[in-house]
Amino acid sequence: MEEIKNALDFSDFPRLDLIVVGLIAVFLLVFPVFPHSSFAMATMIQFLMFSIYGMGWNTIGGYGGQVDLGKAQYVGIGAFTTAVMLIRWDIPFWFSMPIGVCFAVTWSFIIGYPLFRLKGHYFAIATIATSLVLKDLFEVWDLVGAARGLEISPIKYIPPDFLRLIFREDIYYYYVILGFFFVGILYVNWFRKSRLGFQLRSIKDNEDMARSLGINVHLAKVKTYAIATAFVSVVGSFHACYIKNIEPADTMSLDISILIALMAMLGGAGSLWGPVIGAGILIPLKSYLKDWLGAQAGLVGIDLIIYAGIIMLVSAVEPKGIWGIVEKVRRRKRS
Amino acid sequence: MDILVSSLVAGLLIGMVLALVALGLTMIFGVMDVINFAHGEFLMIGMYAGLFTAQSTGMDPLFTLPVAAVVGFLLGIICYYGFIKFVMRGPMVAQLLGTFGLMLFIRNLALLIFGSEDRALHHGILVGKSFDLGMGVIMPATKLAAACLSVVAFVAIWLLMNRTRIGKALTATSLNAQGARYMGIPTEWMNALAWGIGGGSVTIAGALIVNFWSVNPFMGLLFTMIAFAIVALGGFGSVPGAFFAGLVVGIIMEIPGIWDFFTYTFNSDWMADVPMTSLKYMWVYLAYFVIMVFRPRGLFGWRK
Repeated sequence: MEEIKNALDFSDFPRLDLIVVGLIAVFLLVFPVFPHSSFAMATMIQFLMFSIYGMGWNTIGGYGGQVDLGKAQYVGIGAFTTAVMLIRWDIPFWFSMPIGVCFAVTWSFIIGYPLFRLKGHYFAIATIATSLVLKDLFEVWDLVGAARGLEISPIKYIPPDFLRLIFREDIYYYYVILGFFFVGILYVNWFRKSRLGFQLRSIKDNEDMARSLGINVHLAKVKTYAIATAFVSVVGSFHACYIKNIEPADTMSLDISILIALMAMLGGAGSLWGPVIGAGILIPLKSYLKDWLGAQAGLVGIDLIIYAGIIMLVSAVEPKGIWGIVEKVRRRKRS
Repeated sequence: MDILVSSLVAGLLIGMVLALVALGLTMIFGVMDVINFAHGEFLMIGMYAGLFTAQSTGMDPLFTLPVAAVVGFLLGIICYYGFIKFVMRGPMVAQLLGTFGLMLFIRNLALLIFGSEDRALHHGILVGKSFDLGMGVIMPATKLAAACLSVVAFVAIWLLMNRTRIGKALTATSLNAQGARYMGIPTEWMNALAWGIGGGSVTIAGALIVNFWSVNPFMGLLFTMIAFAIVALGGFGSVPGAFFAGLVVGIIMEIPGIWDFFTYTFNSDWMADVPMTSLKYMWVYLAYFVIMVFRPRGLFGWRK
C-alpha cells in the first residue's frame, strides 16, 4: 500500500506543473474522440511508445548517468519473443509479454554484469557493440525469421482480439499503450523516490562517495539496467503486435537506440517529465518533416538534416534539455 | 591451404588501411577525450573527394590523396570550430549525442548532394591488375598499393607526432591541457589541429579505399564501429597500438575465409551450415566487447 501511495504522490512538483500534467493527461484520454487523421493517430501511438522507451532509458541513463546506447536489442528481444510465440504456438500477447520481459532481463544481467565494469564513453560504445552483435545473430537465426523477419498475419484472428492484441482500428492500440504509459509514469515516480533511486542518484553525483557510503554500486546499476530493460521490452512486445511486420534490421537498428537516448536527453535526462517532453517534440517533428519534405523529389534526406541540426543544437547549447531550461528560468525567478 | 593464406594476406592488407582509418579516431580521443561518431562519415567524404577528383581531372585515383587530405583537414577544423568547441563545455552525454548528430548531418547532406546510389571507380593504372604470389594467392594491385600508401601515411603522422614541435605540443595537450596552456601552448588551436589531422588521415584512407570499394552515403557507420574496435584493441589514444590492432581487426574480418578453410580441411557439414559471411562484422563487435570488458587498456597494454 505504501508503494502505491508513493507512486501516486506527486506533491513535490509545483502546482503549475500538476495542472499542466493533468491537462495533458485529459487530452491524451480524450484525443481519439476528436476528429483526427489516421496519420495523427499513428504519430500519437509512436509518441507514447517512445515516451515509455525514454522513461526506461531515463532510469539508468538519466537518474543513474550511465549512457546506454544499446536499448534496441531489448526492443528486439521483446518484439521477437511475442511474434515467435504468437506465430508458432499461438500464445497471446499478455502471456508472451512477461516471458519476453524475462528473456530481456536475463540477457540484461548476462551482459550488464560485465558491462558495468566500464564507465563513460567505454560503456556507451560497448552497449552499441552488444546491440549490434545481437542484431547480427538475429539476422542469421532461422527461428526468428533471419534477415527477412517475421510477419504476424492479421487474417487468422478475428479482430478485435484483446488477448492477442490484434485490432483493425488504431484506437484500441492507442488505449492499450496509453495504459502502459500511465503505469510507466507512476512506476518511475515511485522509482525516483525509492531506495534504489536515491542510491542511483548518489552514484551519478559521485561514484566513489557512493561506494564509501556502503552502496553496492555495481549491483545498483545492474538492477536499474534490468528495470530499464523491462520497460523497453514491454513496448517491444507491443511494437510486434502493432507493426505486425518486424525485421532485425529496423527493430534493432542503432537509430532506435540513439533515438531513445536522444529523446530523454532533449526533454531533460533525470527528470520525470523529460522523456515525455522529448518524445512529444521529436516524434511529431520527425514524422511530419518526413511527410512534408521527404516526399518531394530531389530533397531526399533533408528531413533528417533538419533533425540532425536540432540534435547538434541541443547538445551544444543546452545539454540538460528543455527541462533544464525550465528549471533555470524558475531558479532565476525565485532569486 | 591457399584459402587460408590468401585470407590472411587479404586481412593484413585491409588491416593496414583500417589502421589508418582508426588513427584519426585515436588521435582525437587521445588529445581531447572525445569519441567521434562522425568518423566513418569523414571516411565517406574522403571517398567521395577521391572519386570526384579522379573522375573530373582524369587523374589516377592513387594521386588524389593530397586533395582528400586537404578536404579532410578543412572538414576537421570546421567541425571543431563550428561545433565541437561548444559541445565540449557540456557533459559527456552531450558529446556522444552531439557527434552522433554530426554523423547524421553529414550522412544526409551527402545523401542530398550525391544521391543514394553506389559509385565506384573504373579507371586507373592499377585497377584490375593483380600479382600472383604463388600457392594460389592473388593480391589485387589496388589493395597492395593502398596498404603501402597507408603505411607511408601512418609513418608520416607518427613522425609528426613524435619528432616535431607540433607533435610535442599535441602530446602535451593530451597529457594535461591546463598545464600545457600555462606553458604557452595554444591548446585551443592544438585541439583544432588534432581534429584536422584526424580528419585528414581518415580522408586519405577513404581515398585509398575508394580504389577497390564502392561508396554510398550510408557506409560510414560500419567503418565507425570498426574504427572503435581497433582503437579499443590498440588502447585508447595509442598510435602504435592502432597500427597493430588494425592488422588484428583486418584478420578478424577475414574469419569467414579462415572458417571456409577449416570447413574444407575437416570436410565438416555443420561448419558449412554456419552462415559465416553474414556474421563477418559480428566478430569485430564481439572483439570490441571482450577487449573492453576484460582488458580495457587494449590488447598490448600500451598507454598513451
